[in-house]
Amino acid sequence: MPADRGSNRREFMKAASWGSLAVTAGMVATGRTPAFAAAPSKYPDWIPASPKPPKRGGTLTRASAWDPPVIDPRLTQSVGLYQFAGLTSNRLVRYAFTDEATGPSDLTLKGDLAESWAASSDHRVWTFKLRQGVKWQNLPPLNGRELTAADIKYCFEQYAKEGVQAFTFQEIEGMETPDKHTLRVHLKTPNTLFPQNVAEPVTLIFAREVLEEDGDLKKRLIGTGPYILKEHTRKVRVVLQRNPDYWDKGRPYVDEYVILSTPDAATRLAAFRTGQADFIWVASPSEVETIIKTNPATVVQAYHNTLAPFGLALAQDRAPFNDVRVRRAVSMAIDRQKMVDTVFEGHGILGWGVPYIYYQDTPPTAKDLGPWWQYRPADAKKLLAEAGHPNGFETTLFYYEYFPQMTSEVQLVQHDLKKNLNINVKITKLDYTTYYGRYVESKWDGMSWGFQSGHAVGLDERTYMYMHSRSTKNFFRVNDPVIDELTTKLRRTPDKAEQRLIAKKIVDREYDQVLRMWMPYDNGFLVFQPHARNMAAVAMRRTDGYGSPSLARAWMEK
Amino acid sequence: MAIARTSTFAGEPVAEGHGWLGELVTALRRNPLGVASAGIIVLLALTATFADVVAPYDPLAPHPEIRLSAPSRAHPFGTDDIGRDVLSRVIYGSRISLWVGLLAVGIGTIVGMLIGLVSGYWEGRLDMMLQRIMDAIQAIPGLLLALAIVSVLRPSTTHAMIAIAIVIIPGNSRIVRGAVMSAKQNRYVEAARAMGCRHLRIIVRHILPNVTAPILIIASIWFGNAILIEASLSFLGVGTQPPEPSWGLMLSTTGRAFFEQAPWLAVFPGLAISLAVLGFNLFGDTLRDAWDPKLRRSG
Amino acid sequence: MYKYVLRRLLLAVPVLLLSSLIVFGLMRVMPGDALTALMAESGNVGEKELAKLRRDLQLDRPYVEQYALWLWQMVSFRPGDSIFTGEPIATSLKKSIPVTLELATLALILGLVIAVPIGMLSATRQNTPADYAGRVVAVSGLSLPDFWLGTLVITFAAIWFRWIPSIGYVSFWESPTKNLQQFLLPAAVLGFRLSAATMRMTRSTVLEVLREDYVRTARAKGLEGRIVVYKHALKNALIPVVTIVGGQLGTLLAGTVIVETIFALPGMGRLTVEAILFRDYPVVQTNVMLVAGALVSLNLMVDLMYAWLDPRIRYH
Repeated sequence: MPADRGSNRREFMKAASWGSLAVTAGMVATGRTPAFAAAPSKYPDWIPASPKPPKRGGTLTRASAWDPPVIDPRLTQSVGLYQFAGLTSNRLVRYAFTDEATGPSDLTLKGDLAESWAASSDHRVWTFKLRQGVKWQNLPPLNGRELTAADIKYCFEQYAKEGVQAFTFQEIEGMETPDKHTLRVHLKTPNTLFPQNVAEPVTLIFAREVLEEDGDLKKRLIGTGPYILKEHTRKVRVVLQRNPDYWDKGRPYVDEYVILSTPDAATRLAAFRTGQADFIWVASPSEVETIIKTNPATVVQAYHNTLAPFGLALAQDRAPFNDVRVRRAVSMAIDRQKMVDTVFEGHGILGWGVPYIYYQDTPPTAKDLGPWWQYRPADAKKLLAEAGHPNGFETTLFYYEYFPQMTSEVQLVQHDLKKNLNINVKITKLDYTTYYGRYVESKWDGMSWGFQSGHAVGLDERTYMYMHSRSTKNFFRVNDPVIDELTTKLRRTPDKAEQRLIAKKIVDREYDQVLRMWMPYDNGFLVFQPHARNMAAVAMRRTDGYGSPSLARAWMEK
Repeated sequence: MAIARTSTFAGEPVAEGHGWLGELVTALRRNPLGVASAGIIVLLALTATFADVVAPYDPLAPHPEIRLSAPSRAHPFGTDDIGRDVLSRVIYGSRISLWVGLLAVGIGTIVGMLIGLVSGYWEGRLDMMLQRIMDAIQAIPGLLLALAIVSVLRPSTTHAMIAIAIVIIPGNSRIVRGAVMSAKQNRYVEAARAMGCRHLRIIVRHILPNVTAPILIIASIWFGNAILIEASLSFLGVGTQPPEPSWGLMLSTTGRAFFEQAPWLAVFPGLAISLAVLGFNLFGDTLRDAWDPKLRRSG
Repeated sequence: MYKYVLRRLLLAVPVLLLSSLIVFGLMRVMPGDALTALMAESGNVGEKELAKLRRDLQLDRPYVEQYALWLWQMVSFRPGDSIFTGEPIATSLKKSIPVTLELATLALILGLVIAVPIGMLSATRQNTPADYAGRVVAVSGLSLPDFWLGTLVITFAAIWFRWIPSIGYVSFWESPTKNLQQFLLPAAVLGFRLSAATMRMTRSTVLEVLREDYVRTARAKGLEGRIVVYKHALKNALIPVVTIVGGQLGTLLAGTVIVETIFALPGMGRLTVEAILFRDYPVVQTNVMLVAGALVSLNLMVDLMYAWLDPRIRYH
């Protein structure tokens, strides 16, 4: 009966809407007040490799927020590419994998395409001895031919010519290949940390023939790595298939790695819950708890915090922020500990820019950061008045919401500055392109929630490349002769202990002059299905992102 | 949302200016839903006007120690991600939503009306040109157009309103044009023209009354849509700026980000939006029941 | 009739040209350009490289020339490449149009299936509790933002039913069951919104029609109530429904944006929004023009349907 059909539908709709109202009412009633936590996380920051013998086979799946815009490694540092390019390709040198490392901050360098390397006494000439029998993936036009030193020389020359890595590779004066498996690199100036620079996740060795045939690397990604790029459907999925001719015999263990493009966070979470994703990153302890409620067998790694990638960037090449007193006042007016305790639920760090493991063994405490990084609003007000702004001033702050807690932070900073210093900050939340373009152009005025690159592991990258006044990656506009001198000295110092001392001097100078005002941050958590093995984040990089090479040693117990 | 291209009200003209209010009151009396919706609108307006008095806390004052607290006696709607009182933010949010709605719909309606009047009254080449421009704007999907306009103007509440207004204009102009053209056929108008009345007089006395009803009906429906489009723009990242307590921003950012830990961050702004849209839409229905000539005829 | 159709088609040309000018203009005036997006996260591109890219992509030519070039590409059906990805636009369109079409069609069907019966019921039982309930439920569909409904649906599906459609679009031809599974939820979310507008329209026009003289006459003659309603009312009520559907098509095509993002479907809506945000001019211009062209033709078809449905309407 048509009328009945209509009324049945109406009934259903009514029931459905009442039902969802009831559900939300129920959730509201049971929502708890989270304790404002200062306790450290109860999740380990390291999940050691499994002692069992790895099982071969299976398909690893992940729901990813990133869709690679371009697959040409010369043109992008986007994690969207390196979440899988780290598996299709190798570097000259690499960091330890999960089944080799002693902990999340183990930065032992291992050979990737190079078996060994040595420097001349003045650290200007580096000689790399390459592994023998490495084959390119068996796809045209390479068809599985052997990798030679000339291939690597070609890549480095291309990187130096154009693109994002140019600054790094333009350090190279010249290269020689005395034989098929030896590469000798001559640097313009001494650099003891050069191997770290070529161990960065982004310095992939790509195929000359592809570049010559296609004119660019946008269409094909062929490497020497453990996985072959089998499918790349934009906005849908990336499929990696085990490379049967991989030079590291017996590896990789997993047959296929499928990355599903899933732009929405709630959907990614749903994918993990329903088993469509094998691991996922979440931002906060309370989110981890909601997952454990529905999936109790989940394994959690607290991704170890070694630095904060974001900070308050000030246009310090002009007034009012070119006055160190103003910068110090702003820094003292912001309650960082409160943000760690509340926004990051006690799990985050106060914020600093150079990974602490390069100069000390334990994470810095508030004391270590120096006087200008303590919350002293009264002193801040006095100092700002001394600098000529007793009634504060107006300024702007633009940012892009990388994650929701960032918006919380930005608003808390706005509030602190207004309350303590009468500085009126007008916030503008931008879309990614506008934010990015404006930020790296480095011509903006006022403030920005700024960053340094997301991929960098090495010490040289984190000091010289980001803070030297002549560097093109110096977005914070640091222009300090002491820093210039120290960072240059650092890369010429071979002795590890001395390196640590110089690194400490660099950060102390940074804190004293408030050259980059780092803000609280939390690396979050990696959450794994119970059958995951050897997928923990290592060497300061997430395995779902720049740390993807480590997945060559991953396996699944299913 | 494109409105009906051939207006269902472009039939008989309303009798000149008589009994509008009377008709409305009659319709309201017959129709409890209409009363309820009018009540919602009045509630919204009162809340927006007296927000300073009604809101228990400063909507911008953060208390991060009590962030993400569930609804309680101290905070009936809970607190948000930096400890601001959600009830106060929802109350102040009514101001922004009302403002967004009024400005977007107001500008869109007035400009649309002007264009439609000119187009419908003078017809001819001017009409052709104007209508082609309107068609061209309307051919671009609304959300995309709004997104593009806001991207050009830089994200802010005001710019979002302007963008929404521009999206509304073509549809409105078409409705007005239709109403004007049918009103022109009215005997009164012919007589007035024959008598040599000035255009302005004819427009004001004979045309406008026919146009006002359909315009108000459409405007009331667009009000709700404007709020929703602003929320979608916030979802795409180009709408209202933090820390403004706009319902759309609350729903699309913190409401979704903390959904499982703190569902009240979504529920209350969401209910507010739903209530406001519901109220305006139902009120628009009531207006139509009251003023639509076709329905009245048989009343 | 043919003259009318011809005239409408001819008029469509200046309209589409104007639309294209508007889109072109807006994209060029936006802050940041396609190269900024392309260079995003690279952090180090020298002036020389940027200039070279600009030349390669012809972004340094005067606007008029760029516009003319693009227009020529459109007319000769060779849309060029995306600035951002380098992928030919024709390829990305071939992949994304079916997704959006399928989503829109399913949403439309679901929406109508819900809306028309409820609308008719509401009209035939006017001002009864049934009417009120129907109207409130329908309007609640109008007032729930898509992204909220979509988030609710996907989150609770995972928590209560431990099931969500498999992520990673599979076309209908590859696997009909998997494909329909993937589209069911997003189409329902979209359709719910659509049904609200349609339901109210159905209700009001059925109300009008029920009062028409010929309907009263038929009733007076003693014909069964239901037959009267369905035979006479429905056909005439369909006219405005067709209008509403025609009008909703614009919203539908734009509304797929949010649903496509949440349910990870690679449709045109998502493609276009991301292209706007990345300032990928060629993609935005081409996509919007396609949609505009589709809307214009659909509107024409809607008008023609009027003529078929209501013999009183004639075009000349």
